[in-house]
Parts: sequence; C-alpha cells; structure tokens
Amino acid sequence: MSSVTLTNVHKAFGTTRIVKGVDLEVRSGEFLVMVGPSGCGKTTLLRLIAGLESPDLGDILIDGARVTDTPPRDRDVAMVFQSYALYPHMTVRENMAFGLELRKLPRKDIQSRVEEAAAQLELSKLLDRKPKELSGGQRQRVAMGRALVRRPKIFLFDEPLSNLDTALRVQMRGELARLHRKLGATMIYVTHDQVEAMTLASRVAVFNGGKLQQVGAPLELYNAPANHFVATFLGSPSMNFLPAHREGTFLKGPGFQLHCPVDLGDLRDVKVGLRPQDLRIQSDGEFTGTVDAVERLGSDGYAFLTTPAGPLVSRFDRGTQVSVGETVKVCLLSNALHVFSSDGEAAILHPGDARPRVEVVA
Amino acid sequence: MCPRLAALLLLCALPAWADAPLRLWHAYRGAEETALEQAVARFTEDTGTKVELLALPYDAFSSKLTAAIPHGVGPDVFLYAHEKLRSFREKALLAPSDARLVRADYLPNALSALTLDGVTYGYPLSLKCLALYYDKDRVSSPPTTTDGWLEQLGQLSQPAQGQFGLAYEAGDFYFHAPFLFGFGGRLFDDAGRAEFQSEPMARSLAFVLGLHRRGYVPEEASGALVKSLFNAHRVAMVISGPWFAGEIDPAIRWGVAPLPTVSTTGKPMSPFLGVEAAFVSSRSTQPDKAQSLAHALSVGDGAFLRTTVGHQVPADLATLRTDAVKRDAFISHFRDAAQSAVPMPHELEMQKMWEPMKLALRALLQGGTTADEAGALADRRYRALHRPAPADASPLPWLAGAGALLLLAAAWAWVTRPREPFRKRYPEAARGLLYVAPAAAGVVTLILVPFAFGIGMSLFHHEPNGSYRFVGGANFADILQSRGYAVTEPLSFYFTLAVTVAWALVNVVLHVGLGLLLALVLKDPLLRLRGVYRVLLILPWAIPNYITALTWKGLFHRQFGAINGLLAALGVEPISWFTRFSTSFAANVVTNTWLGFPFMMVVSLGALQSIPQDLYEAAEVDGASKWTQFRRITLPLLRPALLPSVILGSVWTFNMFNIIYLVSGGEPGGATDILVSEAYRWAFQRNEQYGFAAAYSVLIFCVLWLYTTATRRLTQPEVA
Repeated sequence: MSSVTLTNVHKAFGTTRIVKGVDLEVRSGEFLVMVGPSGCGKTTLLRLIAGLESPDLGDILIDGARVTDTPPRDRDVAMVFQSYALYPHMTVRENMAFGLELRKLPRKDIQSRVEEAAAQLELSKLLDRKPKELSGGQRQRVAMGRALVRRPKIFLFDEPLSNLDTALRVQMRGELARLHRKLGATMIYVTHDQVEAMTLASRVAVFNGGKLQQVGAPLELYNAPANHFVATFLGSPSMNFLPAHREGTFLKGPGFQLHCPVDLGDLRDVKVGLRPQDLRIQSDGEFTGTVDAVERLGSDGYAFLTTPAGPLVSRFDRGTQVSVGETVKVCLLSNALHVFSSDGEAAILHPGDARPRVEVVA
Repeated sequence: MCPRLAALLLLCALPAWADAPLRLWHAYRGAEETALEQAVARFTEDTGTKVELLALPYDAFSSKLTAAIPHGVGPDVFLYAHEKLRSFREKALLAPSDARLVRADYLPNALSALTLDGVTYGYPLSLKCLALYYDKDRVSSPPTTTDGWLEQLGQLSQPAQGQFGLAYEAGDFYFHAPFLFGFGGRLFDDAGRAEFQSEPMARSLAFVLGLHRRGYVPEEASGALVKSLFNAHRVAMVISGPWFAGEIDPAIRWGVAPLPTVSTTGKPMSPFLGVEAAFVSSRSTQPDKAQSLAHALSVGDGAFLRTTVGHQVPADLATLRTDAVKRDAFISHFRDAAQSAVPMPHELEMQKMWEPMKLALRALLQGGTTADEAGALADRRYRALHRPAPADASPLPWLAGAGALLLLAAAWAWVTRPREPFRKRYPEAARGLLYVAPAAAGVVTLILVPFAFGIGMSLFHHEPNGSYRFVGGANFADILQSRGYAVTEPLSFYFTLAVTVAWALVNVVLHVGLGLLLALVLKDPLLRLRGVYRVLLILPWAIPNYITALTWKGLFHRQFGAINGLLAALGVEPISWFTRFSTSFAANVVTNTWLGFPFMMVVSLGALQSIPQDLYEAAEVDGASKWTQFRRITLPLLRPALLPSVILGSVWTFNMFNIIYLVSGGEPGGATDILVSEAYRWAFQRNEQYGFAAAYSVLIFCVLWLYTTATRRLTQPEVA
C-alpha cells in the first residue's frame, strides 16, 4: 500500500501540451479513478506514473520518494493496458510468470502465485493456452492476472474494460471492486466512462484540457461539482444550464423564474444548473416547453424539451403521459438548485449551501 | 489455322527467303569491327549480295556456333581462330574451301594452320601473335636477348613507386608459352600427351618467377590493368597482341618488336600463332555465295581494309606487298614475329592444357609452389580433370526402372483418385486451365524440361567431339567416391560441399546479424533522415550483383586495390587476398554480405514494425531491460517472419555462382569454389564433361532438397 504524489507535472509532445500542471495526491490504499474526455491527458498522466514517459517539469513521488527519473522496472508498479499487451508467443502461464521470472523469484513461489491468481480470476483451465486462443474477456483477465501476481505497490489500469461488451464490462467492474476490497492496494484507474468512475472509485479525479478540474468522492462530485465542466461530465443525462439574472431573491430567465434560497448579494448574471433527475413533468411548474423527443427507460424516462430559455431535459415518472410535439409544464423539486458563474468557471451555490461558495461581487 | 492465311504467309516469305542475306558472325570490336563492316559493304557493292553481320561476345562464340549450326540456324560464314579447327570439323560445322582458294596468295604457315589431313578449311584472314610493345620515351632500343632485357628491366623498375619494367597477363598460359619455347620446351610428349614436367618448363617458370620476385612485373595483372599501367607511363614494356594497339593512348609514342631470344639457349621466345579465318558453314543454304564472301574478305580490298582500318596483320601476300602496308612498321613487325611463331596446335590435347597450366602459373606466382614442382602440380590437375571415360553401361535396367516407377506412380494415382468425376468437382475447370496455361507452359519449358533433361544427362558421358555415351550411375559413383583425388583436395565433391556449407552458413549469419542490427537502428521513428538511410542501405541490393562483385574484386587487388591501400595507410602489411584460402574466402564473404544484408534488413524491418509497441511497454513495466526485451520479445516474434527468409537466403547463397566466379574465381587453386561454380567448371572449362557436371547439379539438388525438407518443419505454423 503506497501513496502517489504529483506536483506541478507538465508534459508536452512536440508543441502539443498534454498535461498542463497537475497536482494530485493519491492516498495509500485508495481506488482513484481518473476520468475525462479523450485527449484530456489522463492516460499520459498514468504513463507518467508508470514511468513510460518522463515529465517535462514537476515531480512524481511514490511513498514520498522521488521517482521522476526512475525507470518503470524499479518503480514496482504494475499496469493493465487497454490493448492488454499480452505476449503473443507465450502461454497464459508464461505471460503471468514473466515479471516474476525477471525479478528472479524462486520457481516454486512463481508457480504458487500464478496458480493463486489464476484461481482468483477463473483462469486455471486456460494456463497453457496462447493469448490468441482466448476470448476478449479471458484475455482481459490474463492481463489483470499478470498485474496481480506481481503484488506491486501500485496498480495502474488504462481503460481496461473498454474493449469488452456491456455485460462483461458490468461483471468485470464488480470483480475489480471486489479485488480492491480484498487486496486493499492502491489502484489508479483511467476511464472515460463516468459509470465506471462513479461505481468503482474511492475518489474521482476529473480532467479536462490537461488540467485537474476537481477531485473527490463520487457523490461529492455529483452533488457539488466545482464548475460547469464537472457538472456536465458527471450524471446522465447531463445537467441543464440556463442563463439567468437575479432580481431580488429570484433568478429570472426567459419564461421562468426560480426562488433562490440564499442571498447572492450584488451578483446579477448567473447560470442555473438543473439536473434532469431533479425536474418532473407535471401539470404545473416553473417551465413551459414543447417536447422534441422522449426516452423511456422502463419505469420512468426523460423528455427533451425546447423552452424559451433554451433546451431542457426533464425526468418524468411512471404514469405520466408525454408525447412529442405536446406542450408541457416542468417543475423543479425543492432544494435542488445549482448556481454557477455566468462563464461556468466556478460554482456559486449547491443545494444545501447556507451561503455562496465564492466571494460575490457586483 | 486458316489455310488461306498460311498460303499468304508463305507467299510473303518466299521471295524474302530466295533473296535472304548471307549471315556473317564474328567477335570483333572497335576498329576491327569497323574494317569488317566496310569490307562487307564493298562486297555487297561488287556482287549485289546482302550480308547480315552479327557480333557475338567472344566467350560465348564457340558454344553458340556449336549449338546453332547443326540446327540450321547458324551463320553462313563465321570468323574464328584456327585453334578450334579440329573440334569444329569433328562436329561437322565446316565446309572445305573451294577452288577460289589460291594457295600462292597466302603466307604458307597461315595456310598450313588451316589444313587438316590434306583438306583446307576456310580462308586465312589475319595473323595474331604476341610481341613486345615498348614506350619509346623510356626504352630507346628494344631488347634482343633476355640478358639485355633483364638489365633494362632492372633500370626501369621501381616497384616501391609503382613503376614496372614489364607487364603482361602472367597467369595465362597463352602468355607463358613464349618463355616455354624460348627455354626449349615443347607442348606434347612423343606420345602426343600434354607435357608439364620437363626441365625447360621448370626453367621457364623459374625465369618468370624471377621477374616477379625482383619487382619487374606487377602482380595479378589483368588485361585492363596492363592497359591502364601502360597508358599511365607506369610500365615501360608490355607483352601483348595486335589488338593492344587499339587500346593505347594516342599521346604515347610506342613501338613493337619481336620477343627477345633466351640467352642461355639461344632460342627465340616464339609466341603462339593464331590464324584467324573466314569459315564457311557446312549448313549454309547458299554455299556458293558464302564461299565467295569468305574469299573476298581474305584478299584484295577486304584484306586491305582490314589492314589499314582494322590494324590486322594480313595473311594475304598481295596486301603485305602494297606500299602502304610495307611502310607500316607495326604490321611489318608483327609479320616478322608471326614468321617465327608456333602455330597453335588444333589437337584436342591442346584444350586440356589451359586449366592445369593456369593453376600451376597462379600457384607459382602466388608462392604456393616452386618452379620445380609447378609442373607436377599441373600434371596432377591434368590427370584429375581428364579422368578416363567410364565404361559404357546398358540403359536397359535404367529404362526398366524408370518404366516401373512410372507404372507405380500411375497405379498410385489410380488408387487414390477422387471418387467424384473431375467435371463435377471443378465445374469451371476449362476456364481455370486457360488462366493457368501461360504460367504452366513457362514452368514446364523453363523448369521441368531442363530439370528432366539434366537428370537424363547425368547418366551420360560427353566427349569433346560431341558424342554422348550412356554410362549409368558411373558419374555419380566417381563423384561420391572422390575418384582420382583425395577428399581434402579442392576437386573433391566433399571438400567443395564442406566449403559450400561453410559459405552458406557464414553468409546467412552475417546477413541476418547485420540486417537485424540495421533494422533495429532504422526502426526508431525519431531517427532523423531515416528515409535517406533506408534508401542508401537498400542500394547494394538494387545494383546488379555482378557489378558489385567486379567492384569488390578490384577493391581486393593485391597492389592496386583500395582495401590494401587502406591497410597500408594504417601501417598494416598489404594482404594478397586470393593466395590463401582464408583470405580468399573472406573476400567472397565480404562481397556477398554487402549484397545480402539489405534483404534481411527489409524483412526484419517489416517484421519489427509489426510488433506492437505496447508489448515493450508491458515488458518494461514487468521489469525487462532492453536486452531482455530483445531476447524475450523481439526475437521470438521475429522468428515467424525471419525463418522463411533465412531458409530462402541460405538456398540463394548456396547457389551464389556470380560472387564466387567473379570475386575469387575459385582461387587459390579452386579451393573457394562452391558446388555450382565447380559444376560450371566441369561443364565448360574442363573438357566439356557435361554428364559429370549434370551429375554434380543433381547432387546439389539433392542436398538442397534434404535441407528444405528438414527446415520445412520449422516454418510450419505452430499447432496448439
């Protein structure tokens, strides 16, 4: 169990700056998920931690020791690649034993470790096969097994589930979570899938444009996103944003007005953030809009509306009749209002806050 | 075929055939060729008979004639030296000269050279023999005796400055013969067999060795080297024939003199006399016109043009008496030299002397033997090359065996035939066969037929007179028993096989090693100018390999090669590359490695680039060093791509004739010859032992077949 600390890490490839100054602390035994859109630098950051790249600026520490210039083999990390990177000419057993052989472990230990990991991952019957004779899910498990037998200080996962079908992905997600609970090891996991992030992580780090946007427990990020980007990125469908201006204790926009429970001082222009899950189509409400599209998910569903203030997504409950082209009313559940600065860079108010999060100036 | 079309074609062809031009084949170049063209034009002007000229490369000329004339596709008239007269007559290629030949018109010794058992063939054109060229700026008067000659050479030679008194192609018996005759030697003993071991032979060899030891003569001189040295004023005298005159730089003032007399014997150094003649083919369709052309070239305007334009020494007395020719010192000198020359014997025995003497001369000059023992060396080689013909065998058991094999194969085909009718299995067979036909025809005519022909020929013995005799497995028995020479001698099949295997092995290891190394360097995508390097490194492969081979041959030259120049600059003693087996073999290997690594590099590069980069990253995280990554990841993953190339490359190398033939030429004494070049020598340089050579080829095939069968197992895709 080890911690990882990144301080002011920069990395560019040629003239393209990928990582633009990241400070991040991964606590010992934690399952940290790095999430963000393609090109946000999360994979590069993982490779920097593994030692496959070296930073242009900044430092990387493992357990407080500086490893910035240490080659990967001396960092005692194990990595599961998106492509699995299994050695095609070796059997499953040889693949898993390779790292241990190189570390000159006694033959007996290697064998017992490989067999233990294989049993854990249900690979025992496949040990003498070559990778090309395995299914995608089996290969994925071999890649995990290869990391597992090493018992490293830190596990690194680079989108390990992205090549699997949905059912297998859900299953492997469960196994990964169980594995983390059992081993209690430090794991850093890169994904662009917010569901994986929300379900697996002890903490989630959200990246965009090479910068860390916010880090925290999954619900913390969901409930109190630090800015417009984090708010949009987590939650599905995404949070609605409508421009508004303050008039007394009300936030008004085209065709709607909402009561603001907290005094926002002299602030005038803001953006209100409304999660579709906090909106309901009802006979009466703050918003009026025309239904453009409907997504039914079984018991409930989401309606995509056009309102005078802009597009709006709202949930509807079982039994509510919604059809395309219809004009409906939408109401906001109580205590569910998010307020952001008009440029989206900062959160001003989240539900339950007693006062604005930023110094409000006129 | 439409009959009307055929008739039309015939009609068109008939007048053309009736008026078909005479075909004249020759091997002339430069001024000689120009003179011939003019003489032929004059002939056409006078008689109205058209003549079609065809110039052939000298090396292939004789075999071309032997192959073409009996099939009626050869020339009507061809120009050739008289030395092959007997061989040509035995193959019935020649028609005797008719009444046009007036004996009084020609030099008597030229006519006698063309006469065999009282019948004269062809019309003598010109005389060719060796004489002494000298640089008038350095030699005031040419030597008349060897004593005077040695004195002059001593003053003229400064080998350390690259200045030599004399240059000639000392490794060739044609050039050594004047020394042999000067010391009183002869070619054949009383029984008519070639004579190598004699007192005069030893003394002539000792004399020549002395010339080399004292630095009067440059080593390993080829015709091209002799020419360039003379033109650069670096050599004062040259032994050569009339053809050399055309190669001399016009800025040089030169003279020609007969070769000197040997002081100790008082005998002149008589060169071989070659009489070039216009021969009429026995299969000419227009014999009268052909005789008339051959005659016209030998006398009158024809002879005059060849003398004045082509600088030939005419055999025609009238031309020799013309004022223009009399004033020409060059022609008259050669005429004088020709009068004391020894006509080259046209006995078949003469053909057998060249290779043993070449071996002896080279061995002597390279320090491999002494003047006293060189004759014995030549004699041993003579005996090895001219093995007694195997006894005739009855072809019946062989025919029966072949028939039985065919029957067995047919029976097997019948037993294992598919149950379903052919048409049902392959409903589109007709169209498919049509597509395959051109390629199949190519394979049959270019591979299967020659292959079957070669196997058949290996069961025969071929005599130089063109006859074949069935000898069964005697050729194979002789080869495999290494009859006539020890297993450790270069002529032995086993020695050559060992050399060939070593050759293939060393080459393939170097090709793969170097190719892989360069591929690893070139793989790095961050390497600057990668494309430029890649093109440069593939270039050796793109250049025709005989050019590369000749370039390297020049680089390895003992005195003038760049490699020894480099060694000398580093203070290392220059190496005589082709005098020892190890260095000669190394020179071959260097040349072939230069040619061979690009292929392995390209294959390795392709294979390397197909290995995913993340495997290396995974290995790096797993704890592998760069070397471990190479050993445990790169090599195993290269194997499937590299192994077939290695097998292919080793087969290519095994049969890499060009390099061996052009670079070391088998030196020293055939030790670096590989199986294919040895088979070539048996067929074309050693008394036309085609059957023996074919048996060699069949054995080569067997060796390679065994090799590929053994390695096929390795290349088959692994089964889980």
